[in-house]
Amino acid sequence: MSAPLPDLRPAPDAAIAAPVRKKARGRASTLRIWIPAGFLILLAFACFIWPQIYPVPKPVGGSILEAGLPPFSPGHILGTDPNGNDVLSRILYGGQVSFEVGFSVTVIGLVVGGLLGMAAGYWRGITDTSIMRVLDVLIAFPALVLALAIAEGLGPSESHVIWALAIFSIPATGRIARSATLAIREQNFMLAARLSGTRGWRVIGRHVIPNILPQLMTFALLGFGIVIILEGALSYLGLGIPLPEPSWGSMIAQGQQVLSAAPEQALIPSAFLFATVVALNLLGDGLRERWGVR
Amino acid sequence: MNRVSTASGPLLEVENLRVSFPGRRSELRAVNGMSYSLYPQRTLAIVGESGSGKTVSCRALMGLLPQAAVVTGSARFRGVELLGLTDDEMRRHRGTNIAMVFQDPSRSLNPTMKVGNQIAEAVRVHQRVSKAEAGQQAIELLRLVHIPVPGRRFHEYPHQLSGGMRQRVMIAIALACRPKLLIADEATTALDVTTQAQIMDLLLELQAELGMTLMLISHDLGLARSCADEVIVMYAGQIVEQASTPQLFARVRMPYTQALFEAIPRLERPSHAPLPVIGGRPPDLSALPAGCSFAPRCRRAADDCRATTPPLAEHEPGHRWACWHPIETPVA
Amino acid sequence: MTSGAEPLLSVRDLVQEFVVRDYGGVKGGVVNAVSGVSFDVWPGETLGIVGETGSGKSTLARSVLQAPRPKSGAVVFRGADLVTLRGSSLLQARRHLQMVFQDPFGSLDPKWKVRDLVAEPLIAYRVGDRAARRRRVEAVLELVGLDPAGHGGRRPRELSGGQAQRVAIARALAIEPAMIICDEPVSSLDVLIQAQVLNLFEQLRAELRLSYLFIAHDLALVKQVSDRVAVMYLGKLCEVGPGEAVYRQPLHPYTRALLDSVPGAATARPAAIRGEPPSPVHPPSGCRFRTRCPRAEQRCADEEPAMRELATGHSVACHFPLVPVAEVTVRSEERIGETPR
Repeated sequence: MSAPLPDLRPAPDAAIAAPVRKKARGRASTLRIWIPAGFLILLAFACFIWPQIYPVPKPVGGSILEAGLPPFSPGHILGTDPNGNDVLSRILYGGQVSFEVGFSVTVIGLVVGGLLGMAAGYWRGITDTSIMRVLDVLIAFPALVLALAIAEGLGPSESHVIWALAIFSIPATGRIARSATLAIREQNFMLAARLSGTRGWRVIGRHVIPNILPQLMTFALLGFGIVIILEGALSYLGLGIPLPEPSWGSMIAQGQQVLSAAPEQALIPSAFLFATVVALNLLGDGLRERWGVR
Repeated sequence: MNRVSTASGPLLEVENLRVSFPGRRSELRAVNGMSYSLYPQRTLAIVGESGSGKTVSCRALMGLLPQAAVVTGSARFRGVELLGLTDDEMRRHRGTNIAMVFQDPSRSLNPTMKVGNQIAEAVRVHQRVSKAEAGQQAIELLRLVHIPVPGRRFHEYPHQLSGGMRQRVMIAIALACRPKLLIADEATTALDVTTQAQIMDLLLELQAELGMTLMLISHDLGLARSCADEVIVMYAGQIVEQASTPQLFARVRMPYTQALFEAIPRLERPSHAPLPVIGGRPPDLSALPAGCSFAPRCRRAADDCRATTPPLAEHEPGHRWACWHPIETPVA
Repeated sequence: MTSGAEPLLSVRDLVQEFVVRDYGGVKGGVVNAVSGVSFDVWPGETLGIVGETGSGKSTLARSVLQAPRPKSGAVVFRGADLVTLRGSSLLQARRHLQMVFQDPFGSLDPKWKVRDLVAEPLIAYRVGDRAARRRRVEAVLELVGLDPAGHGGRRPRELSGGQAQRVAIARALAIEPAMIICDEPVSSLDVLIQAQVLNLFEQLRAELRLSYLFIAHDLALVKQVSDRVAVMYLGKLCEVGPGEAVYRQPLHPYTRALLDSVPGAATARPAAIRGEPPSPVHPPSGCRFRTRCPRAEQRCADEEPAMRELATGHSVACHFPLVPVAEVTVRSEERIGETPR
């Protein structure tokens, strides 16, 4: 079925615009999605699945006798850290942490923030005002100070990091969801749905969500990257994943101490952090372009 | 102010104009061999539905098509070839020779600039005058298009004006350098019918006053009938019928023109009378059928229609059509 | 065309206003979109409302449907005043009143498939079971000239404008409405497709005994499909009457101006109407048309004209209505050239 020629009157530009636009979506845009996606999938596989099927040295409990080995040493392809732990292994297990934290925070943000934002944008009025004020309070919390407080009070751990960052992610996603909902709320198809008898949450579920999902997803991907960096920062400060558990952030902190002697200790985790976040950003951009999100 | 053209030949001569856009799978042929002549101080209406190629053909004349467009054929303005000019050369033509007024004034005007300044800017593109002098000319132009209190309106922004006023401003911008040919591309489609009448009156008045030639692009046959000297009807990128207005409406020949004519609701018709319709949709411009493009929808289509494309020929003096089986009996 | 003692839809003194916000959210003014409109639509009848931009006709349509609820007035549909109803009682009362919008693509959720779009009202009003609903969707798609198998699985962007509008009509028909409000349903379609869709409206009207409230800015179009025509200007009705009567013997100067402005209407065109439409935030006092009316006098500024029935079923709101045909030509030619006020 070839694309039917639109017989709408505002068409004077249609014949001109359509073919050029079709050209832009092509192989280039598919690559822009699949290259970063491929990298991320590979990295996730390496972090989660590879250690299960291939014997990798443990990331903790290394012997001091093996401390400070350089990369390409036998048995330790990326060397060892000052405590004798295999760097590659710590990178992989640290990567698990990054993915877990990033994923959890993003999902919490999407679900809680998304629902709150959509409710605020759809019903407006007092629902909107109250939800937005709550979100404003949340967003006013400085994430790092909060994480510090939690770490001090409850002790540092992965789940505490997740909750601290979620307090950040919920209002951010909420605002996006709200403005996206506001944008489509005035469209005629929303009115038509209400006139057809569909009510309340059903309208949100069946009409709002499918239409704002592209925007939310691209935002979520970019947020994923930011969360990974924040987790890294928290761990770097000692407020995140407690040592000796590996985390890219704490590895960078450790590496900082031997920066002049063994710069690769800091550079390797930094490189992984950098590459992961860049890949997430590129994927988010590629999807945004593909889905036509403004 | 009267610029009566002294040339005896046509102002604009278009020969075998073709425009196509390369698509992913096949070419989109927007204009397929359009040829016509436009004489000075006449009003020509090019009528067609979306996809007929009417807008694309005019943008080709103005050099306003995207880079991807493939334009062949010839369009000579007073002997000077318009197609294939460089951007700079085209810019010199635009404004002084040909100007265009578009459909939606709210999209063509800069919302952050005062309207007077936008007109003055147009003046200064082609004339080396000071800002003050251009401003004066802008006020004169506002007066020319009958905007009351032009001195005050100069300082207003587009959103402060009504649709009709904005279109007048667009016309003022187009007239800034007294073009010889003014193309109005669906200029009144987005306006109310009463405003449309005002703007059409204005255009015809300006044409008489400034000795301009007017080209009206529209889907509205009724508009063509009341305002144009000559009408070209386009379908699927080709001219299917062309005649002077009285001739065309006295004896419509091409079945498509007749279908267009009959499909327009008319006040004289009784309520609830079914409109004579033809089924189907305009053809896919990337897969045009062999033979006459209108044949799939035409009641009079015969085998020769589907086999060979009828040529556009002047079968009667002053009346051209492209049809193997034109309508013989006069239409009411 | 009037069958039955009760009008299907009875609108009385409908008022709708919008607050215009200035920069910073400060209240800048109030748009008097609809200011006291009253009319009836009888079963099986089509009432056409013709008006230009700013007349308030689209706002009127939405106010009748309570989206949003009008500021005041009564909208009695099948005996129930929609203005007083809320929630599910409103939904039930409004069930047999549906709407078709101007832009077909804007009124269809771009992510949904055609068959789901048409089934939506059936699901919302819990009509039948899945099998029955599927049959109904197929039946109604065929009724509007679409192929359920071929078009059912498509999304709106895979359809042409005419097809998309047919889907919108099918959706409106799904739960067997008594009346459909059509807000410029063919304005965004090409002429030939427009004619097809208009014929479809007529065919459905005859087969299903539907009533329409048909809103458009094209007087010829409105007259074509309507039994009675109402002319609207700046939030008020100027004239209401049978289509032929309004066309042959317009009583209101604005109706006359609309008729004169139709391109190709007359070979010799009388002067088009002067001036710009006034702002609905500050409508003129008295008769709102007086600033552009060639017949305006002091009384028009002082006193708002009431709707009076001058001939059977033919009412006008004007202090100086145009009187029967013979005198009209003379008077309007006299007045043209005079500056009003």
